[in-house]
Amino acid sequence: MNAPPAPESFETFVQDIPAAEVKMAARELNFFYGKSQALYGVSIPFAANKVTALIGPSGCGKSTLLRALNRIYALYPGQIAKGEILLDGENVLARGVDLGRLRARVGMVFQQPTPFPMSIYDNVAFGVRLYETLPKAELDDRVEDALRRSALWNEVKDKLSASGLGLSGGQQQRLCVARGVAVRPEVLLLDEPASALDPISTAKLEETLVELKKDLTIVIVTHNLQQAARISDNAAFMYLGRLVEFAATERLFENPHTAKTSEYVTGRFG
Amino acid sequence: MTAATAERSRTPRGAGFDPAFRALCFASATLLLSALAGLLVSLLIGGWPAFSTFGFGFFTSTRWNPVTDIYGAAGPIVGTLVTSTLALIISLPIAFGAAVFLTEFCPSVLRRPIGIAIELLAGIPSIVYGMWGLFVFAPLFAKYVQLPAMMAAPVGSIWEKLTTGVPNGSGLLTASVILAIMILPYMAATFRELFLGVPAKLRESAFGVGATPLEVVWSMTLPYVRRSAVGAVMLGLGRALGETMAVTFVIGNAHGLPGSLFDSGSTIASTIANEFAEASTPMHGSALIALGFILFLITFAVLALARSFLGKATV
Repeated sequence: MNAPPAPESFETFVQDIPAAEVKMAARELNFFYGKSQALYGVSIPFAANKVTALIGPSGCGKSTLLRALNRIYALYPGQIAKGEILLDGENVLARGVDLGRLRARVGMVFQQPTPFPMSIYDNVAFGVRLYETLPKAELDDRVEDALRRSALWNEVKDKLSASGLGLSGGQQQRLCVARGVAVRPEVLLLDEPASALDPISTAKLEETLVELKKDLTIVIVTHNLQQAARISDNAAFMYLGRLVEFAATERLFENPHTAKTSEYVTGRFG
Repeated sequence: MTAATAERSRTPRGAGFDPAFRALCFASATLLLSALAGLLVSLLIGGWPAFSTFGFGFFTSTRWNPVTDIYGAAGPIVGTLVTSTLALIISLPIAFGAAVFLTEFCPSVLRRPIGIAIELLAGIPSIVYGMWGLFVFAPLFAKYVQLPAMMAAPVGSIWEKLTTGVPNGSGLLTASVILAIMILPYMAATFRELFLGVPAKLRESAFGVGATPLEVVWSMTLPYVRRSAVGAVMLGLGRALGETMAVTFVIGNAHGLPGSLFDSGSTIASTIANEFAEASTPMHGSALIALGFILFLITFAVLALARSFLGKATV
């Protein structure tokens, strides 16, 4: 038996936010890929109607944390989360949680654009149709609304029946955001959504996210520190599977309280 | 030092063998092709007397009579197509279900054992299936399926026509079921591979908007693998078409067009296996070779079709 490696000890600083503002939170979350542990006792709050950025060097566990939040990891046997993940105070890691419902409430956008092999309209309507039976007119409205909120409507309104695969990378990614938004989730998780996009598409996506947070809670994993600084309200720095520092973004970048965070945000490692 | 490196890269050590290597590979490929062509041509030449004597009637006549030396292949041709198609219809949903279970629901502990079981099932020699079919399956099939089905059939209905026959358990449907069991592991294994080939990110995104496994299979996996799945089915069909021993055991080996699902019949392969040793007249032998030629063509067409589907397996 290989014992899991002892986590490196370093000072941590987690700033609290008022309980009333917390939409989702992880409490003492440990995560395992089979026998290897990827998260060590992570506790972090995600404030409602705010963008929370997860930053840190590759392999620090930020994507793992994100994938735990909607239990998408449960698709893979051997991936286990222990601890608590609270959504409106309820533990989503509990037995008997309806994963479909959970994922409809906590939507996800991935690193690579993943349009489904169907029309633009059907891509957006896909998730809606799973949970609601809407009259055609209402569904049309829902699709239009989602596409507008993802800043894609003007580019695709004349070709809704064209395949989603024919769009550019940036458009595809915004289509995926629209698909996630159309289900009207309460939380939207984004895993490096801009890493495959050009600067203009990235800017559009960022505007979209800032716009979207009026209605929902956003958690975004990013390697791009400027991006995190631009769009997030709170930021969490993770390192070696631990949460090192969590604070308001501005504070974290300008006045980091721990040496590790300071090194990372000033570009001295990572 | 740099000069030495440059010189070495200009003349790789194996360069001298390259033409010989090419020639050998070319010869291997040519040998394969010419063997195939030779087979086809010799079947055509061997079957020519039958084709030229009976003409188009060889394909449409149901009379296969070694005594009068008159041969029509409609019975075996129909038997072949019917048993293979029925086998497909039976095994398709099961193979599909098994593959979905293995890729979506199976606990990781069971995944390997079931995978191995499927491979083992595919490796059992067909004569074993045939023997089991005749001695074990056919009597049970007669008792628990054929008789009840015949009893339940209303007089004068199509149902009654389909179920008439000697209730001894051998016949078209029995052969189809045995064939279905035989092609099941192939199709299940192929489906499983196809399902595993669906990009994880696509499945994750579908699950990510709250889809259930059934919805993901239905709206993501199936459209994604549709073309290749048709190819996989064709490969199964190709195997069923040519299967000889297992079918010969249980199909009843009667000439002519089978009248019902439980009626005895024959397939091209079973007819050849049964009669080749006893082909008394040159025409009988020629008719059997002609049958072989037809089977070759049918199988070739099915596999070519499968290839064209598998080849264009993109969304």
